[in-house]
Amino acid sequence: MSNSVLWYTTRGAGAVTLILLTAVVVLGVLSALRVQSESWPRFLTTGLHRNLALMTLVFLALHIVTAVVDPFTNLGWAAAVIPFSSYYRTFWLGLGVISFELLVAIVVTSLVRGMLGHRAWRAIHWLTYAAWPIGVVHGLGTGTDAWSAWMLAITAACVAAVGMAVALRLNAGSTDPLAAARGAFRSDVDRREAR
Amino acid sequence: MTRLLDQPDILAALPHVGRGLIDAIERARLVGRGGASFPVATKWRAVEQRSHGRAVVVVNGAEGEPQSKKDRLLMTTRPHLVLDGAFIAARVLRARRVILYIGERHSAARDSMLRALGQRSEPERNIVTFAAAPARYVAGAEAAVIHFLNDGVATPVNIPPYPFEGGVEDAPTLVQNVETLALVAILARTGEAPNGALITLVGGVTRPGVLEVESHTTITEAINRSGGLTEAARAVLVGGYFGSWMRPDDAWAMRLDPSVSRLGCGVIGVLPSSRCPVCEVAAIMRYLAAESSAQCGPCFFGLRALADACTRIAGQGSNPEVLQRLQRWSAEVRGRGACKHPDGAVMFFSSAIQVFGDEFASHRPHSRSEQVRLSA
Repeated sequence: MSNSVLWYTTRGAGAVTLILLTAVVVLGVLSALRVQSESWPRFLTTGLHRNLALMTLVFLALHIVTAVVDPFTNLGWAAAVIPFSSYYRTFWLGLGVISFELLVAIVVTSLVRGMLGHRAWRAIHWLTYAAWPIGVVHGLGTGTDAWSAWMLAITAACVAAVGMAVALRLNAGSTDPLAAARGAFRSDVDRREAR
Repeated sequence: MTRLLDQPDILAALPHVGRGLIDAIERARLVGRGGASFPVATKWRAVEQRSHGRAVVVVNGAEGEPQSKKDRLLMTTRPHLVLDGAFIAARVLRARRVILYIGERHSAARDSMLRALGQRSEPERNIVTFAAAPARYVAGAEAAVIHFLNDGVATPVNIPPYPFEGGVEDAPTLVQNVETLALVAILARTGEAPNGALITLVGGVTRPGVLEVESHTTITEAINRSGGLTEAARAVLVGGYFGSWMRPDDAWAMRLDPSVSRLGCGVIGVLPSSRCPVCEVAAIMRYLAAESSAQCGPCFFGLRALADACTRIAGQGSNPEVLQRLQRWSAEVRGRGACKHPDGAVMFFSSAIQVFGDEFASHRPHSRSEQVRLSA
């Protein structure tokens, strides 16, 4: 395989990862916002959120593997897992490693959420709010295409999308119908007083 | 042929039992009668291996299935048989505690069980405690039972740990339906377990209620024993609200053999052809959605969306778009809850769509006079 193919794949997969990850984050925030309609009940949002997240990891893996195996970069596997160990753009690449590792932690804990318990899962899931911006900064700092018009437009759109979703989330009330229904059900089957 | 309801309910010394009984249970191919049809021997062996004298036996008489009456009937009329099964389990599993978990609205069953308990020997009485199960659908599910007995809240919790690993007070725990325990008691006493089941026959039959059937009994024979059909049948629901709808022609010859067919909790419901299947299914889906403990989003929102869409078809007439959504959504809900509540509801719904496909595709809203007749 020619080196340039690997290199273009790295760049392309990086851009796709950014777009997908942004969609995942927006869907996650939207599901917390309880966006729904008659043709789109709320549980579909979380289903799409999960499936897109798994797909994001695939592109992220492609992004990392093609970068590492590209003989031109000569990064080595250590640079892909140990933050700030790369000779090449140590800081910006290190940010990418951190973002990647946070995402892996978020996905793995989601897959074993049943064993972990809700509270621990939720705490780790909040790390998304760190992983996403760190990933964006990694792209801006080291992306070969970062300052080309089209990539700038993509990055700006991604930042705007997440910014808007988060703003909506912050403005929305905190009454969650699921939490309310859970509370009502629990109080109906709660006999602690009687014992 | 041994039959459960032919057994006298008497107080007599328990037979000598040990680990060998588990092999006998396995040979008899006993499966649980609470609804999940899980092999009894597997469950007992898992608890026995870990017990070391710490195990807990929970006698599950919650009977939360709205149409089922058989557990109540058994506890009311054969309490000693159920207690025999519980104490036999306690001996085989070397348990230190037995807990009677009985539906809080099943007062006759509870009174009868507690009266029978008062007649038992002191060492037996001393290891038994009683807990009233909240009257909700999920309260009888194993994980909810254990959550209730530990924390007083009858909602399902995440598995693992499995009950046999860490159940009540973290001890290996057997949660077993009352009919299953009665069957084990007969097996231990006579060396033979009844090979039939208690079923609750409801809907369009002349004398609805509980009856005991043998493994070769067909649904037709069971209906004939209950005085026959009140009118032509449109469909048969096998296994209650977590069961499946069948076309009458497929159902009539079906044998009520619990080790072969999935009888679930043993409810057989006959839908008369004068009733509207779409409206019936919508009502049951609304019930199941309302019984979600609202812990998992896909179950709470998913079942509600399914129930709303069914209700919309029932009230406003069929709509291909809504119907298509229903089918897509039901696939999305399955397997996405911590417990099996969404899976059971979706299984029920999928069978309804298969059997009542034509009605769902051509349903028209009922006129007022029709509604009066249907609700009668």
